Amino acid sequence: MKVKVKSWTAVATWRWIANDDNCGICRTAFDGCCPDCKMPGDDCPLVWGQCSHVFHMHCILKWLNSQQVHQLCPMCRQEWKFKE
Amino acid sequence: MPLSSKEKIASCKTTLEANTRKRRASDNNHLHTKRARDDLGTGEHRQSEAKNMGEATPKRANFSALNPSNNGFNSRSSPLVNNKPGTSKKLVIKNFKVKPVLPANYQQQTWDRLKEAVQAIHKSRPIKYSLEELYQAVENMCSHKMSASLYDQLKEVCEQHVASQTGQFTSEMTDSLTYLKQLNTCWQDHCRQMIMIRSIFLFLDRTYVLQNSLVSSLWDMGLDLFRSHIISNRTVQNRTVEGLLMLIESERTGDVVDHSLLKSLLRMLSDLQIYEEAFEKRFLEATQMLYGAEGQRLVHEREVPEYLTHVDKRLEEESQRILHYLDHTTRKPLIACVEKQLLEDHIGTILQKGLDRLLEANRVDDLTLLYRLLQRTKNGLHDLCQYFSAFIKKTGTTIVIDSEKDKTMVQELLDFKEKLDNILQTCFAKNEKFSVSLKDSFENFINKRLNKPAELVAKYVDNKLRAGNKEATEEELERLLDKIMVLFRFIHGKDVFEAFYKKDLAKRLLVGKSASVDAEKSMLSKLKQECGGAFTSKLEGMFKDMELSKDIMFAFKQHMQHQCHATVMDLSVNILTMGYWPTYKPLEIHLPSEMVNLQEQFKRFYLDKHSGRKLQWQPSLGHCLVKGQFREEGSSVKELQVSLYQTLVLLLFNEGDNYSLEEIAQATNIEDSELRRTLQSLACGKARVIVKLPKGREIEDGDKFLFANEFKHKLFRIKINQVQMKETVEEQVTTQERVFQDRQYQIDAAIVRIMKMRKSLSHNLLVSELYNQLRFPVKPSDLKKRIESLIDRDYMERDKDNPNQYHYVA
Repeated sequence: MKVKVKSWTAVATWRWIANDDNCGICRTAFDGCCPDCKMPGDDCPLVWGQCSHVFHMHCILKWLNSQQVHQLCPMCRQEWKFKE
Repeated sequence: MPLSSKEKIASCKTTLEANTRKRRASDNNHLHTKRARDDLGTGEHRQSEAKNMGEATPKRANFSALNPSNNGFNSRSSPLVNNKPGTSKKLVIKNFKVKPVLPANYQQQTWDRLKEAVQAIHKSRPIKYSLEELYQAVENMCSHKMSASLYDQLKEVCEQHVASQTGQFTSEMTDSLTYLKQLNTCWQDHCRQMIMIRSIFLFLDRTYVLQNSLVSSLWDMGLDLFRSHIISNRTVQNRTVEGLLMLIESERTGDVVDHSLLKSLLRMLSDLQIYEEAFEKRFLEATQMLYGAEGQRLVHEREVPEYLTHVDKRLEEESQRILHYLDHTTRKPLIACVEKQLLEDHIGTILQKGLDRLLEANRVDDLTLLYRLLQRTKNGLHDLCQYFSAFIKKTGTTIVIDSEKDKTMVQELLDFKEKLDNILQTCFAKNEKFSVSLKDSFENFINKRLNKPAELVAKYVDNKLRAGNKEATEEELERLLDKIMVLFRFIHGKDVFEAFYKKDLAKRLLVGKSASVDAEKSMLSKLKQECGGAFTSKLEGMFKDMELSKDIMFAFKQHMQHQCHATVMDLSVNILTMGYWPTYKPLEIHLPSEMVNLQEQFKRFYLDKHSGRKLQWQPSLGHCLVKGQFREEGSSVKELQVSLYQTLVLLLFNEGDNYSLEEIAQATNIEDSELRRTLQSLACGKARVIVKLPKGREIEDGDKFLFANEFKHKLFRIKINQVQMKETVEEQVTTQERVFQDRQYQIDAAIVRIMKMRKSLSHNLLVSELYNQLRFPVKPSDLKKRIESLIDRDYMERDKDNPNQYHYVA
């Protein structure tokens, strides 16, 4: 063996899986963060419901908190349950 | 004279009253003191007195016995009562029955004496009588109310004398200097004589003259006489003034003249109160003529700095002149006249002819002088400021416009700015107006060429912040960054700067080329200060990504140790958040299986931690440290610092010795142009670890490549740079395109923002508001396109009647 790699510095970019879409609540692209945050990333994560709809976590929590009786997905009106 | 005599009487009365009052007061004092003395007298004495009073009658004899001692007093106080004449002498004080009369010819005699003395003074002969005697005589005459006639007589004598002097000045004389000297002597004599005469007649001057407001003092009388008899004579006055002007002119042309003569004669003129009308006017006219001609001549003949020194010298001379012999009231008009003739009339010529050259050659002293001189004139600084800014614009434009000088543009601009700052500070006294116009001019020319300066400034910063730039210490770098920020401030298209800066920053961070994190952070904070947090949020995000990546890699390494995987190589990954970084084209390449494995392991680890994400590898940004063994014996081991692409090519040679271009392309799946550059860097660069057949600089189809077993290099660790082939042009274009796209969004947003607020607006108003809001240069046609596009997308609509009016559609 003549050549051997000792160390490797690689570069990768991450995106949300639901990347191409907008958040149904704040209408910002998932690339960005919710209106209350400044940086996308761990501080402003996305959450998926069992109905497969995606929102910014901050957005959906705000929505759920404002609901008095049933907690429904704002998109499909099914009961909102976080997807595990 | 009725009034004055009344006054006199009044004043006499008052003095009389005052005197009597005084006398009474002093009598009272006497009484008091007597009484006081009595009080202090022995008690015995008083007691005896009281006894005497009490037993007045029985001791009569005793009283009478005392009488004779009192007799003297009694006799003096009441001689009439005393009825024993002859017993003693009586002294009676009576008024003169006849007032003592002066000798009849007293006035004449005294005056004759005085006249003789005055004439002696006039002739500069010794005086027969003592001065005190004369003074006394004057005083006596005054007290005998002869002041008026004395004054008149004195005046007559003086007048005769002065009039007799006139002759010598009216006769023809050729030499004006001698003439002036003669006049001066005459004047000096006159003054001396008048002082002497006045001293003798001081009493007259102090009483009669003071009490008579219509009579001028002796000194003034002298001046009057001199003025009316000598100077008011046309010929005398003309010759005098001409002579003076001639003297001054000859001094101006460089001759040495008698300052004291000039001073004395000019003092004479001002003492005689004809300085202004007789001399000053003509003097100023002459000055104007002289300097007018001189200015016209020299401003064309001489170089500007020479001319300026000359003007400065002239001004200095003139103020010396004022100091030495001219009346100080002349200062203002004289200096103004010189300034006007030498400077104000030629400001345009001076500035046009010389300013550019002075600024170019950085002639600090001359510029300081120029500023100082122009400061004296009314519009001088204003004009200077205009020419200054024109110069900046002209020179700056030549620096900016020439696309061949792109490489040195920023450095030149920095030098230029520094030079001007220096001039502003040392020569132009940090004048606020100049510094504003400096800024304006910079802003003006730097934006004459769109986008390019911004890009070059960004590149310049990159160059300075990149590792390997050892020419500057931390502080120097900091100062340099500050200077760059000044340039940056002038640039309108800040988004272009941001785009290029971001691209370069990404490179520096990912390749680990950044010279110092502190410098990077300081630059970032400067940008933040300048343009606000929105401008730098993405750049900050990039730094944050780098830190997060470090944490993740730490966790990953622990995870790998836990799993007890045999690590073939050290992997570290920089995980980038899409939005912050420049967009990179995703490329699929063939990695060796062990690298793919490692990559997968990391991916799994990462996605476990961060759900809902996906990872996209960016092979074009990766780099490796590779150990290469070049001879079979194992004696020559080198470490190569190479890009991932270069690594892939090198790894191929583990399996074979000889590959063609096509084979390599197939094996690695690297994009063609990229592969050619990679091979070029390995086979044609400084450190040739691969041998190309046939030899040559460019990579051609069908070329063969061999591993360079004979490779030698003095260093152990070698860095092989990727060839920066014309990639920059492409990159540049894409970066610019991205900037323009971003601008479109910004324009859209601004239009909607404005329309939402105003509801309906005419086209022109909308455009002007847009120009206020947008921070980058836009063409009106671009704005029109964006408005059209928004109308198409139903954000707004045209008015049905007026196509120039828009309405916002909610």
